[in-house]
Amino acid sequence: MGLLTDLRSSISRATSSLFAGSEPKRIGIYGPPNAGKTTLANRIARDWTGDAVGPESHVPHETRRARRKENVEIKRNGKSVTIDVVDTPGVTTKVDYKEFLEHDIEEEDAVRRSREATEGVAEAMHWLREDVDGVIYVLDATEDPFTQVNTMLVGIIESQDLPVLIFANKIDLEEASVQRVSNAFPQHETVPLSALEGDNMDEVYDTIAEHFG
Amino acid sequence: MPHQCTGCGERFEDGSKEMLSGCPECGGNKFQFRPQGADFPAEPEPPAADDPPEESSVAETVGRATTRVRDFVAGDEPDPNAAWPDEPDGAAGDDGDDGEIIDADARRETTGDAEDPAQANARSGLAGPEDVPDHGRSTTNEDDATAGEPAADDPAADSPTDDPPAADDDDRVVSEPSDDDPDLAELREQLNDQFESIKIVEPGQYELNLMELYDREEYIIALQENGRYVIQVPDQWIGADVDDR
Repeated sequence: MGLLTDLRSSISRATSSLFAGSEPKRIGIYGPPNAGKTTLANRIARDWTGDAVGPESHVPHETRRARRKENVEIKRNGKSVTIDVVDTPGVTTKVDYKEFLEHDIEEEDAVRRSREATEGVAEAMHWLREDVDGVIYVLDATEDPFTQVNTMLVGIIESQDLPVLIFANKIDLEEASVQRVSNAFPQHETVPLSALEGDNMDEVYDTIAEHFG
Repeated sequence: MPHQCTGCGERFEDGSKEMLSGCPECGGNKFQFRPQGADFPAEPEPPAADDPPEESSVAETVGRATTRVRDFVAGDEPDPNAAWPDEPDGAAGDDGDDGEIIDADARRETTGDAEDPAQANARSGLAGPEDVPDHGRSTTNEDDATAGEPAADDPAADSPTDDPPAADDDDRVVSEPSDDDPDLAELREQLNDQFESIKIVEPGQYELNLMELYDREEYIIALQENGRYVIQVPDQWIGADVDDR
């Protein structure tokens, strides 16, 4: 319910701005499907607020609506930075219900998921245009980062002059290659991590505080 | 790429700004996409004749913003017959309930045998990067006449008398071999040109043009199973009295 969420967020933002000096920066977690965006969002939210953002799954397009965790206060080196974390649906140029059939999902449900995933991509792109102040771009370090989607999205983010961090996720897997990711986007800082295992999260938070604080 | 207001039947060509700010006739924000070559029904009866009374009164008295919120909240289950004009030629006679609605999916299901093979080919084929321009989709379709599908863009096409020529076109195209048809590439290119934000390859299969999705001020918040979609119209397009964000 994006519209209602927007309503709620407008109110809460207006309210919070009455009591706080400045609004938290809204950081969008973007990337292709199954890169670990929700796992990362949950890791950040759990580490600093105790809550989760949304369900994680091996099934692609599990996140089909943008979800937000507000007022995540990250404390680093005596300072604190407060951000709103927005977990977005995986961005892709093609959605096919047959992808879901491989995960033992009935066809009717798969078609519905496919439609919702498509709506999710539209929503994610809309958020990118209007509603984020910075981007964490999450990539599965075991996958080839040189894809049309990645190039296009990072290009859009750059054209918006949004601060962006590249997160090379899933470094707990043997076939992960952080170097390949940083080679793909040498103009941006690449941070290796495993959101699932919690590897290298100190550097993750340091970098977030530095870039988005 | 014509669109038709589901509320009053008003038609809009691709890129129409009137449509993007809500239907100027009835204020509705639901539009049905009608592919090239699809017959537009004649001008519908006044919406009040088909609408549930409460719906039209809400739309008129509360205004566009409320309509939009209501449509969004209830958008998952639109009444397909609520505000849709009658189909004059009665061509889709297989289903009494859906007979009045022609959309991309339904057309393929009900008239699949008669579909232009070239069009089917183009529909299922993948658009390479070179086929999909990134910016500035043309809103005019002057070349359509060469592809044998002039009816939808013809200003006179909303007359029911245009149905017979459209049927003639179908007959002609179907009778020609498809693979070697010199018009195939042209037709495919035209279809690709019409591919804006989201292309429904078939139910459950979508192709997305990320640049288009990003470039649009409005965004598609709900795709309906029957090929309809709901867009969220930016506040500034509606008026300063609306504040629902």
